[in-house]
Amino acid sequence: MFYAQLIVNGLVQGLIVGLAALAVTLVFGVARFANAATGDTMTFGAYAALIGHKATGSLVVAGGAAVGATALLSLTVYALVFRKLAGRSVVALLVTSIGVGFLLRSVLGIVFGHNQQLFTVPLVRPIRFNGLIINPFDLQLAAVAAVALVGVFLVLYATPIGRRMRAVADNRELALVSGIRPERVMIALWLLVGAVTGVAGMMLGMKTIVSPELGWEMLLPAFAAAILGGIGSPVGAVLAGLLLGVAQELSTPFVGFTYKLSISFVVLLLVLLVRPRGLFGRLEGVR
Amino acid sequence: MEAYLVAIAIVALIYVLLALGLTLQYGFTGLINFGHVGFFAIGAYTSAILAMNGLPLVLSFAAGTIVAGLAAWPIGLIALRLRDDYFAIVTLGFSETVRLVITSEKWLTNGVQGIPAIPRMFAGISVGSLASFAVLAVLLVVTIVAILGMGRIVKSPFGRIIEAIRDNEDAVKALGKDPARFKVQVLILGSGLAGLAGAFYAHYITYIVPDQFIPLVTFYVWMAIIIGGVGRVSGAVVGTVLLMVLLEGSRFIRDVMPFISDVEMASVRLGVIGLLLILFTIYRPQGLMGDFTRR
Amino acid sequence: MINRRTLLTAVAGTGALMAAPSILRAQGAGAGPIRIGALNPVTGSGSPYGSGMQKMILAAAEAVNAAGGAAGRPIEIIAEDTQTNPQAGVLAAKKLIEANKVQAILGTWSSGVSLAVIPLCNDAGIPLFHCSGAPALSTPPANAKGLGFRFQATNDRFGRAFAEICVKEGFKRPATMAFNNASGIGNTEGFRKAWEAKGGKVVESVVYEPNQSTYRSELMKVLAAQPDVIVTGSYLADTTILLREWFQSGQPVRWIIPGWAANPDLIKALGPEVTEDIISVDSVSNEGSPAYAQYDAAYQKAMNQPGSANVYAAMTWDMVNVLALAIEAAGSADMAAVVPKLREVGNPPGTVVSSFAEGKAALKNGKINYDGASSVLDFDQYGDVTPDFGAYFIKGGKLERRYIVKI
Repeated sequence: MFYAQLIVNGLVQGLIVGLAALAVTLVFGVARFANAATGDTMTFGAYAALIGHKATGSLVVAGGAAVGATALLSLTVYALVFRKLAGRSVVALLVTSIGVGFLLRSVLGIVFGHNQQLFTVPLVRPIRFNGLIINPFDLQLAAVAAVALVGVFLVLYATPIGRRMRAVADNRELALVSGIRPERVMIALWLLVGAVTGVAGMMLGMKTIVSPELGWEMLLPAFAAAILGGIGSPVGAVLAGLLLGVAQELSTPFVGFTYKLSISFVVLLLVLLVRPRGLFGRLEGVR
Repeated sequence: MEAYLVAIAIVALIYVLLALGLTLQYGFTGLINFGHVGFFAIGAYTSAILAMNGLPLVLSFAAGTIVAGLAAWPIGLIALRLRDDYFAIVTLGFSETVRLVITSEKWLTNGVQGIPAIPRMFAGISVGSLASFAVLAVLLVVTIVAILGMGRIVKSPFGRIIEAIRDNEDAVKALGKDPARFKVQVLILGSGLAGLAGAFYAHYITYIVPDQFIPLVTFYVWMAIIIGGVGRVSGAVVGTVLLMVLLEGSRFIRDVMPFISDVEMASVRLGVIGLLLILFTIYRPQGLMGDFTRR
Repeated sequence: MINRRTLLTAVAGTGALMAAPSILRAQGAGAGPIRIGALNPVTGSGSPYGSGMQKMILAAAEAVNAAGGAAGRPIEIIAEDTQTNPQAGVLAAKKLIEANKVQAILGTWSSGVSLAVIPLCNDAGIPLFHCSGAPALSTPPANAKGLGFRFQATNDRFGRAFAEICVKEGFKRPATMAFNNASGIGNTEGFRKAWEAKGGKVVESVVYEPNQSTYRSELMKVLAAQPDVIVTGSYLADTTILLREWFQSGQPVRWIIPGWAANPDLIKALGPEVTEDIISVDSVSNEGSPAYAQYDAAYQKAMNQPGSANVYAAMTWDMVNVLALAIEAAGSADMAAVVPKLREVGNPPGTVVSSFAEGKAALKNGKINYDGASSVLDFDQYGDVTPDFGAYFIKGGKLERRYIVKI
């Protein structure tokens, strides 16, 4: 029962990481770089949701605000920064995205200050199930993650723009030759990424507290999960997030609460050495 | 005032050593090491712990350098099997793991309490400012030796090969050279330099604690070499000087711009660094000093 | 917003002596203002306190100068930010010592910064007044020359206060949870020592890492030991998350939390239901004292908040007063002469005084004993003070002080 509860705790942790990893993996898969601004963009989403929630008291409005505002921000950053770097080295993009993250965090710090802020939602008692303690909020979190995943899937597999996105992810040159206009694909990609990042940020903010440093701390686990899941694989990202979360919590009786943070890297390293593509390979191509 | 400038110069030179290590690894060989601060920490702790146990500083510095270099060896072996950007994430994870180890292993590192009262260099010279001038002189000599050494490496056959690895690894393989061996050697050399920088840091600040070895330090060094010019020794130096001006100069900015509070200054500092990184990669990818033509 | 320069001018101006420095200098060697460094955590994790600490140093210096200065000389404050970071703290201290030639450094906050700065003070032969908790700052090598003076309780003393409260409240099975840094662990380890000295046993202790999105496994381990109270060494952000998850777990337990975490912000964040009956422990300022009344007025004026909002600011207020009185008693700003006088003006016996002006007058008639705003300010052999602690209970969303713990 003790271990079962650890697994539940790990799943909760993993859901948050998985959502962030979903955003990372989309950019990694299509635009081909590790976007280090993801964490701070999540923070932005959390603040957007907070403002929406404070103004209306409705979590749905808050979610809408997070999705809308973050999608717009994401598109703006693409237009102003990443578009200009098309075709440059992975490192150039990675370093620039770190710069974007710093700038974003700096602006959030100046605008909102460094005091912690919270979503004031009523606290509810947990559901007890055969001795397992499950928090209703975590079930909602799981539902949101599932919806986000399904949403990403629908966009990728049930819309024309999604098909083109996968084509670009699969083979950029071939996609261009086949007459796909990369600009449109990229706009759609960054809007989608922004929406996912906004949701991830809001969930993280609701689970913890909102401060300008919120998202930055999520970045490393999210990268680990995206790579572990296989670049460009949405399902892989979420599953890898869950796997890392569970591995981390299950390790605590043996390695304690400090070393659990490095478990992610150990798992990642082992998997990469055995299977360099990650667990789920990359976005499947279109035929 | 001059002693304050000496203090800044000492910290700046420590960062120059770090930047030189990274220039060797990334600038010359294309290895994306995002875990630089991990080797810096290993050097700092190794030298500090040995010196606290009575080892002469000359030996503890050497040990710090060697241990940091050796720590890079397994990382190098792993590097060969990973994509560039994966390697970046793995090294970042490595430096965080180093931080967790020095946080947890209290018997060795005194954990979160840190190691206070680390022996200073030239402790025998009682006059405060003279001792710092001596530290500065030694650092300057070490840095110049490192720069000259790197200059020689670049001009040597070894240097041509590592630069060739950066530019076209397959071609190097086709020539019958094994890029793997060179990559590991470069990683060890650069990390050794970071370890040496760590030893200087520990014995200059005289107090080390895990909080000082966060990934932000790595990103500062990256900023320095990107703004200075990747793949250029002069770039590493100029970039670091600019970094120090940014970090320390903000103490004086408030005299000119009184409307910014100290609290906002911390945010502004971060924002300026972010903006510079963006602007330089977009508009001047070769940096201030560079003629870095690759991509 | 007031910038450093205008404040400096204001401070200097009230002294009314700066106006004609050349005349002063003509009066003899060692004239001119006495330069003192204010080195506070204005940014970084100490930022909730740093600005207030700095402003109270400036305000206290202003009061000293209004009373004619110390040993006939005005005090000039040069303020710097440590960024709550040892490296930045060292560089700032170097600037203060070397570029500004200060005679003392006042108001470092985190133990890491104090430990990094104190060797510089030892070299320069000037005192460091700090608000850090780490026990290492009391003894050599850090305090090799007896130049370090601590205005805050050590972590050990906090731990002793926690243990006293556990006894008083009849708790039998305490557990601890500590944030993994020097101060967090210092508090819970101090508690363990004091509690075990009383023959008690700590049923479980957990050290956790910052910046986690959930602390449920950590909580689970502690709660599994069935403690009746959890003593923490924690900060605001992590305490917020911990308490929320604990409340949702539904297992009843009481909490004893340091005052910098269990504060009005915590109540605001979690609401009265979650925080009901939490015991918040803080060193209490010397609130009944006349010195506190003066400090409170100055703090209200500078920060627009009651003085109780920032215990560290009360400490920095006292730092300036004690230093100025010691300078007055020594008759010069030569620190070799001033440092031995610090205990003389701060500790009993002597006429009890509560401000610089009062002390300056009383010094003419013999020994004085400054009772400060932060505590009665009696330094022990290590340069540490022993403030009183307050046990505050959160009731209906308000912090109510139930009793004072003297250790």
